Amino acid sequence: PPLAGGQAAELQSKVVPSKQILHSDNMEMEPETMETKSVTDYFSKLHMGSLVYSCTSKRK
Amino acid sequence: DRSFHVRYRMEASCLELALEGERLCKAGDCRAGVSFFEAAVQVGTEDLRTLSAIYSQLGNAYFYLQEYAKALEYHHHDLTLARTIGDLLGEAKASGNLGNTLKVLGNFEEAIVCCQRHLDISRELNDKVGEARALYNLGNVYHSKGKNVANAGTHDPGELPDDVKNALQKAAKYYEENLSIVTELGDRAAQGRAFGNLGNTHYLLGNFRSAVLAHEQRLLIAKEFGDRSAERRAYSNLGNAYIFLGEFETAAEYYRRTLQLARQLKDRAVEAQACYSLGNTYTLLQDYEKAIDYHLKHLVIAQELHDKIGEGRACWSLGNAYTALGNHDQAIHFAERHLEISREVGDRSGELTARLNLSDLQMVLGLSYSTNNSMMAESHAVENSLNGGRPRGRRYSMENMELMKLTPEKVPNWN
Repeated sequence: PPLAGGQAAELQSKVVPSKQILHSDNMEMEPETMETKSVTDYFSKLHMGSLVYSCTSKRK
Repeated sequence: DRSFHVRYRMEASCLELALEGERLCKAGDCRAGVSFFEAAVQVGTEDLRTLSAIYSQLGNAYFYLQEYAKALEYHHHDLTLARTIGDLLGEAKASGNLGNTLKVLGNFEEAIVCCQRHLDISRELNDKVGEARALYNLGNVYHSKGKNVANAGTHDPGELPDDVKNALQKAAKYYEENLSIVTELGDRAAQGRAFGNLGNTHYLLGNFRSAVLAHEQRLLIAKEFGDRSAERRAYSNLGNAYIFLGEFETAAEYYRRTLQLARQLKDRAVEAQACYSLGNTYTLLQDYEKAIDYHLKHLVIAQELHDKIGEGRACWSLGNAYTALGNHDQAIHFAERHLEISREVGDRSGELTARLNLSDLQMVLGLSYSTNNSMMAESHAVENSLNGGRPRGRRYSMENMELMKLTPEKVPNWN
């Protein structure tokens, strides 16, 4: 029927502009950075400490 | 001395357990690493620096496992311990980690205090690397804070309340300060991270040209490192920015590259997201056949991943695309499916949209007015309840295309 056809045409022209289109707003963030500690940090410092100590004591 | 021997053995086994925990976490097995660290804590040690290192790594392991309450607990222990033994560098690190954890938990004000402490100590110790990292963390907290408040409303990027704008501008400032230090230090990986998040901050602020510039830099660095995940992120972010610049062809090109990499990386969720973005972009380009093709691909993966919300969005988009093509049977099929899924997941605004779509379609197909009227009445009731009694006009943007942002609980995180 002409009326329904007209309505369909009207719908077709208006539907996309008026219907909500989902914008895929999926922002991709960069990873976080965490600070790290290690049980071997202490050893390396101890080791360094003793090295420094032996060097200075040798100089003496 | 027997007691000395026992204590010596205990110290040694605590250390051995902790070392094994470290090895496992480095190898990527945080779950196993956690049990070794917890065993090490059980055995105990008199050396508070060792204990601090164990707490810190436990906190990080739980952070990566996304058990943030546990992460918070251990980073807090670490902070207390670092202060007790007067370890300033250790205190800075613990504060930074605590800040990052508080940010994820949405406690932005405390997160800022902690990250600021990390920054202050790093400056006091003249530790440039620490200073740069603290600035990046602070940028991230302000970015999250801004985004969190912004998500409470429904606006497109660029139209923001003052408090959101302030937070995002602070984030941009911290990322730029970070960038000047890491550029000086020649740390390309850190530059890549800062450019990526700076780009996203500009995007939210509506500075789409600046966003493109930052993401282009991010892309360059990702390629330098052969980091395909970072490359894929940059393509996706560039696509988003070009959508808002109205350059849909360029956006489609970037989304196609995202899709290509997602397939290479065998990441189905990201592949689905890329298909969805492409479907929307082709809708904006008014190429509805291609739009349908990509939305169907998205639908298949959403079903495969049992992602109901994604499935609902696919049905909605498919309903619109079929309506645009004048294929009303398929349009009704997907609108009905959208209504069904919206009810299932309790998405009130999705339900309203589906009802409006269905009533429009039924009117066009000349279906009974009684069904139609009751449908409309129901729709208005839902709409009024959603908008505090005030009917909301439909907004227009982007060359008559309406872009509607959903609140976070309705937008699944595809990552």
